Amino acid sequence: MDIATLKTKGLLRAVSAAPAMPAAFPFGLGLAGLHEVAEAGYGDRAAVTGFVLAATRQAKQGAWLWISQTKLAGDLGHVSQAALRQMQAVMPQRLNVETRTLAEALWAVEEAVVSGAVSLVIAEVEAADFTATRRLTLASGRYGVPVILMMPQTCEGATAAATRWRIRPRPSAPNRYDPQAPGNPRWRAVLERCRTAPNATGASFDLEWNDETLSLSVVSGLAAGPAAPRPAERETPARRRAS
Amino acid sequence: MLHEKSAHGLTVAAANAAAKLAGIHAGMRFSDARASLPALMAEEIDREADARALRLLARWMNGYSPLVSLDGEDGLLLETTGCDHLFGGEAAMAVSLSGRLTQTGYTHQIAVAGTPGAAQALARYGGTESAPQILPSGAERSGLCELPVQALRLSPEATTLLRRFGLTRIGQLYEIDRKALTRRFRSRQAADAVCLRLDQALGLRLEPVAPLRPPPEHAWRLACPEPLTQAAGVEAGLQQLAETLYADLSGKGLGAQHFVFTAFHSDGQVSDVSAQAARPVRAADHILRLFREKIGKIDPGFGIDLLLLEALRTGPMDMGSRPLSGDLAATSVDEVALSALADRINARLGDGTVSLTLTDARHAPDKAERRIPFTGEMPSAEAGLRDMQGLRPVRMLGWAERVDVIAQVPDGPPLSFVWRRVLRRVVRSDGPERIAPEWWLHLPGQAARPAALPRTRDYYRIEDAEGRRYWVFREGLYDDGRGQLPEWFVQGLFA
Repeated sequence: MDIATLKTKGLLRAVSAAPAMPAAFPFGLGLAGLHEVAEAGYGDRAAVTGFVLAATRQAKQGAWLWISQTKLAGDLGHVSQAALRQMQAVMPQRLNVETRTLAEALWAVEEAVVSGAVSLVIAEVEAADFTATRRLTLASGRYGVPVILMMPQTCEGATAAATRWRIRPRPSAPNRYDPQAPGNPRWRAVLERCRTAPNATGASFDLEWNDETLSLSVVSGLAAGPAAPRPAERETPARRRAS
Repeated sequence: MLHEKSAHGLTVAAANAAAKLAGIHAGMRFSDARASLPALMAEEIDREADARALRLLARWMNGYSPLVSLDGEDGLLLETTGCDHLFGGEAAMAVSLSGRLTQTGYTHQIAVAGTPGAAQALARYGGTESAPQILPSGAERSGLCELPVQALRLSPEATTLLRRFGLTRIGQLYEIDRKALTRRFRSRQAADAVCLRLDQALGLRLEPVAPLRPPPEHAWRLACPEPLTQAAGVEAGLQQLAETLYADLSGKGLGAQHFVFTAFHSDGQVSDVSAQAARPVRAADHILRLFREKIGKIDPGFGIDLLLLEALRTGPMDMGSRPLSGDLAATSVDEVALSALADRINARLGDGTVSLTLTDARHAPDKAERRIPFTGEMPSAEAGLRDMQGLRPVRMLGWAERVDVIAQVPDGPPLSFVWRRVLRRVVRSDGPERIAPEWWLHLPGQAARPAALPRTRDYYRIEDAEGRRYWVFREGLYDDGRGQLPEWFVQGLFA
């Protein structure tokens, strides 16, 4: 029996094994599958963006497609090329798509995943229900293009995504050179849902991003305490309100 | 009869055949016309609607020839070179055109000649019979001989002058000495105009014709023996055309970036959709995908009898083969696949949806980046990025947002500020990073008032009690002599 016959009988078929999802931090974020990263409160989008860029620094090289809804981009700003350069060891090629509606944004995500032309799709959307996430998860698994959805703090409920993270900023690390200046950024990342490692669900990570070594490290709860003590306030004779 | 308001009151603007028989012609007073024929039906002329209808008709004429131009307010000029054989010769083409126009209800007069001037003269003054007149190329001299001089598209003054000389027919102009004719006119231009029009009609001088639409570089037609009434038929037709396109263009090694698909309806309507590609393409399935979202706009209605697919902006195609393995490739970005993706997104969500971020070598952070539509080529990732700059926020707001700040005067960092209606207490701060305005753009003499010049900005990296980090700046200094106090803005958010 030759190969063609085997194929027609369905005994032999192409198997595209999904890449194994690592069961350790960051649980495949930016490497495979669909992941949701949500804000803990309004205004935490910068922390979400920082976390995503930090966690994807080992992503496979290639073009990125950054999809956002116009009204969200107007409210939360856009990711600057300079910051991308400062946070990624190898600068990715980035294409931007701005859509009017949520449906168009999700359609663009799926289209990009199916095309296989990009190595990572990041979408900033206002919501994504179970059906949409299920659809994107299947497409992402089938075509091997990871997808990250950045969601607002209203993101709740069922999801088919591999993980759902909730990120809040924390007081930054002490600055070695100037105790009054902010240091390395720190975030608290809570793993709300995790399909690959169900017993990791609910784990919380206190993370610190080092912008010189481009490394993300877990800091202990003690070190992640309150900010470094400030020197005593100097007497400031003139404090005035400048419009 | 149609009338319009003029300087002399209501005048007749156009009259149909029956009214003309009764002696009513364009230009006569409306009251005279009404007096001579009390049963006259009159209506006001709508010149805008006429112009619209003429343009629609011109678009429909693209089914006969790609080069159609307007001729005055009531004429169309078709360049039929190379098109007539599709209909079995000039005579058959004119008859087919005439038949279709009669069905649609237009009165018309068709003439075919070797030059635009001769065709125009024949169509407008060549007689009243409705049969198309065909003047073989080279026979202009004898064909135009008996026509009145008005047929040469001259100004009314020139026509009057020629009539005073006793020159009423075009044939009389042939033998006249040009110099003698020039001397009779008041100005040289007027005389030259007469000679130019005569030469153009006779084919001695070229006459440029400005087509309404740019002619396509390649076009494929699909004439339907039975009018198509189903949308599925239109799609099948497009598929057939796209396959022909692929075969033709791949023979030439070409691709195209702009496609126009036009459906000519049997009732004289035309509908068209267009699709653009970021880089030259020719694959049939790609073209079909670009049109998939839009083809629904073509409503077959009473039937479509001709489909036309035109390719514009053709160019050589990038024939590079894909790397065998992603690991060996110099770059892992496949621009061809990216353009195909961008085309699909643009086709559905509107042109320009997919954009690139370009970095400019400018100091002002809000001017250092701009977005341009993706045109199929990725810039080098490092282009325009500078190494020597401070930390930049991960999110830049679309515009700097003004905030109320309590800060030390003159150059202290903020102590607290209100951004988006929430009071934020600053715990730690770093700065300032002073960014001066681009003085070379505002050299003395160009700017009117010093107050209108941009001010120096001091940027601070600050962190509030909740751990959120901001990039704020104070625009202006307290002692820069600009009059008003400096103001504070939030420019971006740090991770």
